[in-house]
Amino acid sequence: MFEGLRKRLRGVSRKLGESITEGEDTPGTGEISPAANGAAGTEKPGQTGLASRVKVLITERELVISEKDISEALSELEMILLESDVALPVTDDIISHVRSNLIGKHRKIGDNVDDIVIDALRGALLDVLGPGFDLVRYIGEHERPVRLLFTGVNGTGKTTTVAKVAYFLKQKGYSVVIGAGDTFRAGAIEQIDVHAQRVGIKVIQHQQGGDPSAVLFDAVQYATAHHIDVVLADTAGRFHNRANLMNQLDKIRRVMKPDLIIYVDEAVAGNDAVIRAHEFEKTVGADAVILTKADMDSKGGAAISIAHTIGKPLMFLGNGQGYEDIIPFSPEQVVSELLKEAPDA
Amino acid sequence: MLDRLGSSLKDALKKLAGKTVVDRAAVDELVRDLQRALIQSDVNVKLVMALSQAIKTRSLEEEPPKGMSVREHVLRIVYQELVRLMGETGTVKLGPQRILMAGLQGSGKTTTTAKLARYFQRKGVNVGVICADTFRPGAYDQLNTLCSRMNIPCFGNPAVSDALAIVRNGLKDMHHTEVVIIDTQGRHALEEDLIQEIIDINTISQATHRWLVIDAALGQQASEQARRFHEAINIDGVIITKMDGTAKGGGALSAVAETQSAIVFIGSGETIEDLERFDPDGFISRLLGMGDLRALVERAEETITAQDVDINAMMRGRFTLRDMYKQLEALNKMGPLKQIMSMLPMGNVELPGEVYDVTSTKMVRYRVIMDSMTAAELDDPGLISSSRIQRVAMGAGATPDEVRELLKYYKMMKRTLKGVRGAGGKFNMQRLMKKFGGN
Repeated sequence: MFEGLRKRLRGVSRKLGESITEGEDTPGTGEISPAANGAAGTEKPGQTGLASRVKVLITERELVISEKDISEALSELEMILLESDVALPVTDDIISHVRSNLIGKHRKIGDNVDDIVIDALRGALLDVLGPGFDLVRYIGEHERPVRLLFTGVNGTGKTTTVAKVAYFLKQKGYSVVIGAGDTFRAGAIEQIDVHAQRVGIKVIQHQQGGDPSAVLFDAVQYATAHHIDVVLADTAGRFHNRANLMNQLDKIRRVMKPDLIIYVDEAVAGNDAVIRAHEFEKTVGADAVILTKADMDSKGGAAISIAHTIGKPLMFLGNGQGYEDIIPFSPEQVVSELLKEAPDA
Repeated sequence: MLDRLGSSLKDALKKLAGKTVVDRAAVDELVRDLQRALIQSDVNVKLVMALSQAIKTRSLEEEPPKGMSVREHVLRIVYQELVRLMGETGTVKLGPQRILMAGLQGSGKTTTTAKLARYFQRKGVNVGVICADTFRPGAYDQLNTLCSRMNIPCFGNPAVSDALAIVRNGLKDMHHTEVVIIDTQGRHALEEDLIQEIIDINTISQATHRWLVIDAALGQQASEQARRFHEAINIDGVIITKMDGTAKGGGALSAVAETQSAIVFIGSGETIEDLERFDPDGFISRLLGMGDLRALVERAEETITAQDVDINAMMRGRFTLRDMYKQLEALNKMGPLKQIMSMLPMGNVELPGEVYDVTSTKMVRYRVIMDSMTAAELDDPGLISSSRIQRVAMGAGATPDEVRELLKYYKMMKRTLKGVRGAGGKFNMQRLMKKFGGN
């Protein structure tokens, strides 16, 4: 997963490394300023006398990375992020983060260029992705039943994700009930019903066209009465620019009082991911994010965009058609994976 | 529709219009803004680079035709290149055919299948659908529910897991049906066995058309997915779905470019009727604020007679209450004011928001009030004094405040139209461009 992004990030970090090393081969051209005692970053190269320059060059060779050294590689990084579906504003942020981290940085001749670059990239990515979300621990720490509400636009895979999360929690030993809150789409109730039968979980359902708040309220009541650990509330997909549908979601929230609102989006979404994540977060809130369809050779840009926009942790990645195809998201792991020495490097 | 892409494009062009000289730097800036706008709309990055390069080279190297200013020349090039990016209009015949729907999971194939069936049904063609999605639970229920609401036959069997068998039997069952639409399971290009399945379905069904359904929100991945679907079953049309959200559909454009096909339909809502044909030419015109006159004329011809609205008189600036009355009458037939305005070649001058806020109920009230005015008052609203306002209000069963509100609305409309006219009724791009800049 995220294979594409990984390979290309490696390419850029190598290139950044090279352009910094290139600078090193031609000392004294102004691209590199010899720095004395680490404090010379502010000192302009022209102001230093030739003698002292030579002396410093020989003894205390420390290089300052200038904008010129890395601008080409940075614009390439920009292209790569854009091609990986990282939204434009988010790309701009990451680039400026890397730039400000690298420029003016002092570097001893012996230091590994790769390390500096990778550190800068890692910093920027971790910064954007934020911490992960440990659902199991959350459930352990909260009063039963823990109520999870799933939201998102149409066709992102909410219903399938609900089934997967149910399966995941069941494997972890929790009892689960599902509320079939998608009363709008034809076939949605049948869909969740079949899923639930297959993973052996009870579904609370009403008829198609019913009030989703009522269904989900019943699901919570059922869970309380039967001492069930977790309620998973499926909802109909809706667009964030439909005021009445968003109001309906707001009503659901008031009625079932979810502990967590989980925003589901697809990893293949482009720039719109940012807009809709922001709207959902604004109108009904979101506590965690699940990204689906990560197996579609996705470059993972949506993960970065969404996390950056709403600042909420990613909880799971859906990466296949089976019930077990869901993996808890850990930012460190993903970032290390992305920046890992590629086998061909 | 895709108008959010439009606003950023228009901003870029506005900047160009504000420039005194159109030189290399101006073109560079335009191209840069254009790039950002397109990338933000999810158009494939490589495609954007190629497009902007073409615009740049052509703007700087091609001689503007005689009588055309450099500015118009550049605008024309942007227009042509964008039209090329959008591809041709896909043709949709109404004769006997088999249509195979393909696409990623959750792109909206099943809903679109039902919408498409409804489209053919409305055109009076005998249509049926086959549900070959044997994987997703509830898929058959979904399609069957949607189809039975419209009395369209739907073939499928949730108990059978062999999609090929269903297609074979379905085609046998529907051999009298003119148009057969086959809905398939969502798949992505990396799933080898599923790709093989759709190749087999294509072979068995001997489909006339293979349409790729693309979610408007799909990002850079669109090109790659489209390419592989194209390799597998030779896609000859693209349907963009979920255009009613905020997504801009650039991914679908990449898919069109990749498959060398065309956009055939656009899905823009949750109900079964929300499927539109797509015309790239008119669309781009509107996008660039040049007005889609053809669509306006067509629509006007369809719905109203010539004396209903005298657009020429309006453009000349002679706008009386009588014109507004006609306009309000025509509105019901033609659709919302905003839509009509967006089709007029007025460089998409932003009308003040209050103009649109006048709801249809208010429109009716206004007409009633105007019915209580004399012919002289309608032709020259300046006549209406406060005592006349009293009289009109009494006659129409309205309050004087309502009458004043109507007059205020009229003045606002008049002012806006005055700002637009000046071209002497002739479509003059130079002046329109100046208006762009002046805004």
